[in-house]
Amino acid sequence: MNIVVLVKQVPDTWSERKLTDADHTLDRDSADAVLDEINERAVEEALLIKEAQGGEVTVITMGPDRATDAIRKALSMGADKAVHLSDPALHGSCAVQTAKVLATLVGTVEGAELVIAGNESTDGRAGAVPAMIAEILGWAQLTQVRKLEVDGTTVRAERETDTGIANLEASLPAVVSVNEKINEPRYPSFKGIMAAKKKPVSTLTIADAGIDASEVGLANATTTVLEAAPKPPRTAGQRVEDDGTGGTKVAEFLVGQKLI
Amino acid sequence: MNAFIETEERRALRAAVAALGARYGHEYFTAKARAGEKTAELWAEAGALGYLGVSVPESYGGGGGGIGDLAAVCEELAAAGAPMLLMVVSPAICATVIARFGTDAQRARWLPGFADGTTKMAFAITEPDAGSNSHRLATAVRRDGDEWVLDGGKHYISGVDEVEAVLVVARHVSATGERLAPSLLIVPTDAPGFTFRPVEMDLVSPERQFTCFFDGVRLPADALVGSEDAGLAQLFAGLNPERIMAAAFATGVARRALAQAADYARTREVWGTPIGAHQGLAHPLAACAIQIELARLMTQKAAALYDSGQDGAAGEAANMAKYAAAEACVATVDQAVQVHGGNGLATEYGLGSLLGASRVMRIAPVSREMILNFVAQNTLKLPRSY
Repeated sequence: MNIVVLVKQVPDTWSERKLTDADHTLDRDSADAVLDEINERAVEEALLIKEAQGGEVTVITMGPDRATDAIRKALSMGADKAVHLSDPALHGSCAVQTAKVLATLVGTVEGAELVIAGNESTDGRAGAVPAMIAEILGWAQLTQVRKLEVDGTTVRAERETDTGIANLEASLPAVVSVNEKINEPRYPSFKGIMAAKKKPVSTLTIADAGIDASEVGLANATTTVLEAAPKPPRTAGQRVEDDGTGGTKVAEFLVGQKLI
Repeated sequence: MNAFIETEERRALRAAVAALGARYGHEYFTAKARAGEKTAELWAEAGALGYLGVSVPESYGGGGGGIGDLAAVCEELAAAGAPMLLMVVSPAICATVIARFGTDAQRARWLPGFADGTTKMAFAITEPDAGSNSHRLATAVRRDGDEWVLDGGKHYISGVDEVEAVLVVARHVSATGERLAPSLLIVPTDAPGFTFRPVEMDLVSPERQFTCFFDGVRLPADALVGSEDAGLAQLFAGLNPERIMAAAFATGVARRALAQAADYARTREVWGTPIGAHQGLAHPLAACAIQIELARLMTQKAAALYDSGQDGAAGEAANMAKYAAAEACVATVDQAVQVHGGNGLATEYGLGSLLGASRVMRIAPVSREMILNFVAQNTLKLPRSY
């Protein structure tokens, strides 16, 4: 079974992340770019399935040239090949446009029956793209998954949300999005690192992928950011001097916040 | 001219090793050391990922890289707070010597274990009356029929309690008692006549130091690595990687101390100002950063020379790198402690235990003074004093 893993290069979560003043899109120069951590888990899950059942793992990403670093990381972990869509016209694309583009790319991978993605990127945080792709492809969608099992043409998964856990079952083809509990991603081995450079990466423009410029980009996006302001800094907490009534004052504070 | 920046693969290796090291970290390292245990889990995991065997030939299951790759692994683990001293010895000296000078049978016997870290070998050269001056070694090996017989002793040998065998430097002795060229012999730690006991050290280190005794240790013919009369060239093929690795180890420790000190200087505020705003602390830290970076650059140069087969040039560069790295390490740990004030010696901050470790770097595996002798005599052509 051939598996497609969707990966995304994001600004390092631990660095200061900014939007540009010009069009409120991501300021890519402001922070180090890394492979989104949840994608490492998606790659890991695909590799576990491949190791147990055979097949090929293809990594797909959409992003600027330097997104090749994210691709190399996935390939060094053990993925077989990659498709990289890089085109200035993609700048500022919204979630819907992104999903359409990625669905098109999934269609180019021969024999792909399963797409695995992270449930939500650490930059955009829409958490919607995997479901949208499933919708566009007409494939089953199993999102927010913490446990995954592929048995023949059946996919079983445990979906975890704030409201509880659901046991899902679907037939292939399917799109799965995974959460942080799915696995612990492996470290790339030295051989994996050395082999990554030799693995095939096809770099495409939107024209190569048969995508029209009118379908992508900030000017045609379904959503745009109109305004952005940094989160206000945390204000200092209320300080209680304990003159013997400290306990009462803490309790009063908690009552005031409706916590007790 | 070669580029001064490392390859994409080398940088990816560093990132991967740093991530692994970060998961273990300094608390793991000190907890193991204080409990008298080894960092066995980290060794095993790094081995399985091929990080310890990066420089072992691919045909024996290794990574097919060079000492530069192995030094990068060593440095990143040290920078993560979990240095592994036996990396300086087992994969760097022993695996290198066996790969370069061993017979096919010796390679087949030992290299696959070095490739995945399942084999560990110590290295024994230092003697009480010779230091690491290989010309003065008293440990002797003589031929007896098909066998070798080893007699003598070694001091300050790292990790003998956790290895399968020790690669011992001994001088051949002729039938007439004449001392000949030094050779390298693989001595299993369970060989009859081989005993060792720990030297108690005031160091926080999972790896222990040993005094070794060889009393008529009988070894098979294939215990000898390389040719009987190869002498020093073969020995230095192992000692140059050792120096490069020691330099990498030292710059890794220094990087960790510097990062911690800089973080503290940025965040610790006294009278409303971060202490790092004061030049009395900022300038010494900046000077440490420069020292470390220069030492790293020299270490990479030494590794590049060694990996391109230029043993002679690599020898000078490796000695200079080791000197620079040790001095950078001592200066940086000292300054990091100073920046932390009393906290610098509090167990919680993990810097006090680096004082001893950094000081060792100026002494082992070759002392500051012996390196200065080497540079004086070889680079500057000054007369010998001994």
